[in-house]
Amino acid sequence: MNIKRMISSLFTYIPQEQYNFVLFRDTTGNQSSENKELKKDDENKTIYPSLSVNLEYVKSKYNSMINSDIIIREFTLNARGKQYSAFLLYIDGMINTDIMNKFVLEPLMLRNKSNMYDNEQNRIISEAVTNNITVRKVKKFNLADYIMSCLMPQNTVEQFSKFSKIFNDVNSGNCALFIDTLNIAFDIEVKGFEKRSIDKPENEIVIKGAHEAFVENIRTNTSLIRRSVHNENLIIENIQIGDITKTNCALCYVKTLANSDLVAELRYRLNNLEIDSMLSSGQLEQMIVDNNLISIPQVISTERPDKATSYLLDGRIVLLVNGAPYALVVPAVFTDFLSTPDDKNMRTSFSNFIKWIRILATFISLLLPGLYVAIASFHQELLPTDLLYSILASRETVPFPVILEILILEISFELIREAGIRVPSPIGPTIGIVGALIIGQSAVSAGIVSPILIIVVAMTGIASFAVPDYSFSFHLRIYRFLFIFLGYCCGFLGIGLGFLAYLVVLCDTKSFGVSFTSGISPLQKTVGHSYFLQPIWLREFRASYLDPKKHNKQEKISMKWKYPFLKEEDIQ
Amino acid sequence: MTDTKITSKEAIMLVVTIFVSHTIVTLPQNLLSNTKSATLINLLYVGIIAILLAYVIYRLLKNFASLDIVDISQYLGGNILKNIIGGIFITYFIVSSSNLLREFCEGLHVAFFPMTSIQFVLIPFILVLFLTNSLSFSSNVKTIAIIFPIVLISIVFLFFGNFQNFSFERMFPILGKGFYDTFITGIGNIFAFSGISCLYFIPPYLKEPNKMKQIALSSVIIGLLYFLFCTATILLLFSFFVDVDEVLPLYSAASYIEFGIFFQRLESFFMLIWILEIGCYLIVTNRFSISIFQKITNLKFQKPLAMIFPLLILGISLLPKNYSIIRFLESNIYSYFIIAIIFVLGIAILLLANLKKRKEGKVR
Repeated sequence: MNIKRMISSLFTYIPQEQYNFVLFRDTTGNQSSENKELKKDDENKTIYPSLSVNLEYVKSKYNSMINSDIIIREFTLNARGKQYSAFLLYIDGMINTDIMNKFVLEPLMLRNKSNMYDNEQNRIISEAVTNNITVRKVKKFNLADYIMSCLMPQNTVEQFSKFSKIFNDVNSGNCALFIDTLNIAFDIEVKGFEKRSIDKPENEIVIKGAHEAFVENIRTNTSLIRRSVHNENLIIENIQIGDITKTNCALCYVKTLANSDLVAELRYRLNNLEIDSMLSSGQLEQMIVDNNLISIPQVISTERPDKATSYLLDGRIVLLVNGAPYALVVPAVFTDFLSTPDDKNMRTSFSNFIKWIRILATFISLLLPGLYVAIASFHQELLPTDLLYSILASRETVPFPVILEILILEISFELIREAGIRVPSPIGPTIGIVGALIIGQSAVSAGIVSPILIIVVAMTGIASFAVPDYSFSFHLRIYRFLFIFLGYCCGFLGIGLGFLAYLVVLCDTKSFGVSFTSGISPLQKTVGHSYFLQPIWLREFRASYLDPKKHNKQEKISMKWKYPFLKEEDIQ
Repeated sequence: MTDTKITSKEAIMLVVTIFVSHTIVTLPQNLLSNTKSATLINLLYVGIIAILLAYVIYRLLKNFASLDIVDISQYLGGNILKNIIGGIFITYFIVSSSNLLREFCEGLHVAFFPMTSIQFVLIPFILVLFLTNSLSFSSNVKTIAIIFPIVLISIVFLFFGNFQNFSFERMFPILGKGFYDTFITGIGNIFAFSGISCLYFIPPYLKEPNKMKQIALSSVIIGLLYFLFCTATILLLFSFFVDVDEVLPLYSAASYIEFGIFFQRLESFFMLIWILEIGCYLIVTNRFSISIFQKITNLKFQKPLAMIFPLLILGISLLPKNYSIIRFLESNIYSYFIIAIIFVLGIAILLLANLKKRKEGKVR
C-alpha cells in the first residue's frame, strides 16, 4: 500500500491547496453612512417599560452570548411587599463585588423591614376638613422614587431614560439596574477595577519638590490637583472625546484666575474633535494645537501634580486624559520648556545660575555640531593654530568628510539613546556603557571618527539631557541635523540664516493665542514673567500675556513680618 | 489685527536696523572718503540735521494719524500720485536691498566662498525671505528685536576690542579737507540716515501712534551713536590715505581683535552676527515693499507676493557685472537717489498734504 502511494506521489501531480486569507475592502462607502445612521439611532434609543424587551436589547448590544465579561444578573426585587422582575448589567472585573453584593443586591433582593413595609400605596401629604368634607392631598406611590430613596444605600445613583447614557457608565465600571414596568434605569456607581497607586515621577526628577506623580486614573489625578489647590474655585469640567472610546477628559482651571476666553477656546476645541478614539495625552496635544507642521511643542506636558497646580494658580488651564499619567498645560511659552518645578523651590541665585546653564545647554544642543562642521569646513581661522593642528592631526586617519563623520556619530548616538529607552530597564545602563564607551573608543581606534568629534557629540548629547522638557529636547535634536546640513553647505552663512529663519518661525508660533516668545523678546514688556526669576518677594504679578482675572499674585509687601510698624497707606 | 501692530520700542529697532545694515558694508568707507579725518565731526553735524529732519517728519505726519506716505499722497493727489509715490518707494526699497545684498555677498564671497559663484551666496538670503514674508509682520519685528541688541553689542565690542590698536592722531587734521568740505558739501553724508525712510511707513503698524515723536528721535539718535562707533573704529584703525580694504571694512577691523592666545581671529563670529543683521534689513524692506504694493494694487492678501519680491531683489542684485560697478553706483548715484527720495520728495509730499489739510480746515 505504502509502495503504491509512494509511486503514485512520484508520478501523479497533486495540486497544493494553499491557505490564503485576503481581506477585501468595501470601496462602496456605504458602510460609513450606515454606521452613522446606526449611531444616531442608538443615541436616541429610550428604555422600554417592558423588562423582557430591555433585556433582549441589552443582550444584543453587548453581544452577551459571546462577550465573556458582560454579566446580566436577573432577580426579583422586593418593594413594599410587592415583587418585580429586574436585572443588573455590569462588566466583570470593573466593579467592586463587595459593594455590589452588600449595597445593591442585598437591599433589593432580601426581605427586610424597608422593602416589606406594606402601607397604603398612596401616601397622604396633607389633609383639610371644610364643611365636613375632607380634602386630602395624596402623593401617588412611585416605584422609581421609592427605590431611589429607600432601597439604594449608595452615594452615587442616577436615573437615565436613554440607553446610551447607561451603556456609557456601564463601560466605565458602573452597574445598571433595569426593573419591569419602569421606563428608566438606575445607574449605580460600583467601580472597583485595579489601578496603579501614586508613585514617584520618573521623568521629571526634582531635588526639593514633591515626589508624587500623576497616574492613569483621571479621578485620582483630579484629586491630586484639588488637594493642592484646595479652593472651591477650581473647576474640573468633564468632556468626553472619541466616538468609540468616549474617553473622559478633564478641563481644569481656577475660575477666579483663568481668562474666560481662553477657557472657552479650549472647550470649543475639545468639543469639536471628531475622532474614534483618544488614548493618550500626546494624541490630544496634537489634536488641539494651532500648528502641527513645526516640531516646536506648544503645550506643556507634565507628570507632576505640583507643576500642574503651579500653572493653574498662574491662570493657565490643565487638561487631563483618562488613561494618561500626564497633564497638559496651556498656553505654553518658550521659557516654560526651560523651567523646572525646582526653580521656585530653590534660592533665586541658585535657580538663575541653573537657568543660565540651561540656555547654554539649549544652544549647544541645537548649534554645536553645526558650528563644528561650519568651522571645520569654512572658518578654520577661528581656531587657534595649535588647536587647529591637533584637530587636523586627529582627522588625518579619518577617511570620511566631516559631514559624514558627524552624521555617523550623531545617528549612532540617537540609536544608543533609543535602544536605551526601549530595552528592559536592567539592560539600559549596559547599552549606554557599551554604546558610549566601547563603540566610541573602537570607532576612534579604527579611524572611523576623530576624537574631537566624539567630544562634540558627547557634549551635545549631555546638553540635550540638560534641557528639562522632553518634547523640546526632541525638537532641538531634530533641528540640530538641519543646522549640521546648513553648516556643511554654507558655513556661518547657512547657520546664521538658518538661525534667523528659526527665530522668525519661533516668533510666529502661538500657543492658544499667546505668542510663543513672550518673555524672551527683549522689547515686549511682559509683566510677571521673565525667564530669570526675581527674588521671591518681588514676584508680585501673574504673567500679563495670560491676561488673568487677578493680576496680583501677592501683596506689594508680602513679608509683612519684616515691617511690623508699616501702615497700610505707606504700602500704597 | 494684533499680528500687524508693533510697540514703539520695536519700531525704534526696526528703523535703526535700516541704519545699521549699511554700516556693515561700505557706508563708513563712503563717509570717510567724502570727509576724511573730519568724518566724526561731520557725522555729528549731519546727525543733528537728521534729528531735526526726523522731528519735521514727525510734525508733518502728526496730522495724519496712522496713515503712511502712500495714503497721504492719495489724499494729496488721488490714486495717480499714490501709485507714483508707491512705485518710487518700492523702487527705493528694492534697489537699496539689492545693492546692500550684493555688496555684502561680495564680501562673503571674498572672505569665505572664493570658489563659489556669487549667485549661490545670494540665494540663501532669498530663501529665507520666502519664509519670513509668508509669516506675520509682528513675528518679523520680534525677531529683529531679539537680534538687534546682539548687533549693537557686537559693534561696541568691536570698538573696545580694537581700542589698543587705535591711533588717535588719525583724527587730525580735525577739519579734514577743510571747513567747506566738512560742513557744506559734507552735508551730503546725510544719506547715511536713509533709515529715516521707515518713518514714512510705520504709522499704520504702531500700537501707540502718539509715540511717533519718541520713535523718530530715539531711532535717529541711536543710529547716530552707532555710526560714530563704526566710523571711529575704522577711522582710528586704518589710515584713510592707505584706504580701507576693498570690501567690508568692519570685517577687516574685527580681524585685529585679540584676546589672549585663544581668541585671535574672531571676525567670523562677527560675520555670523552681521549675516543676521543683513537678513533683518532685507526682511524690513521686503515687508514695506509688499505692503506698499498691496496698497497700490488693492490686493487682499500679501502671501502671493511673498516670493515675487525676493526674486526681484535677486534679479536686480545680479545686474551689476562686478563689485567695482556696485561701488561706483553706491558712491556716485545711490547717495543722491536717497537724498532725493527720502529728504526731498518725502518731506515735500508731507508738506503739501499738510498745506492742503490746513486749507481745507480754513474753508470749513
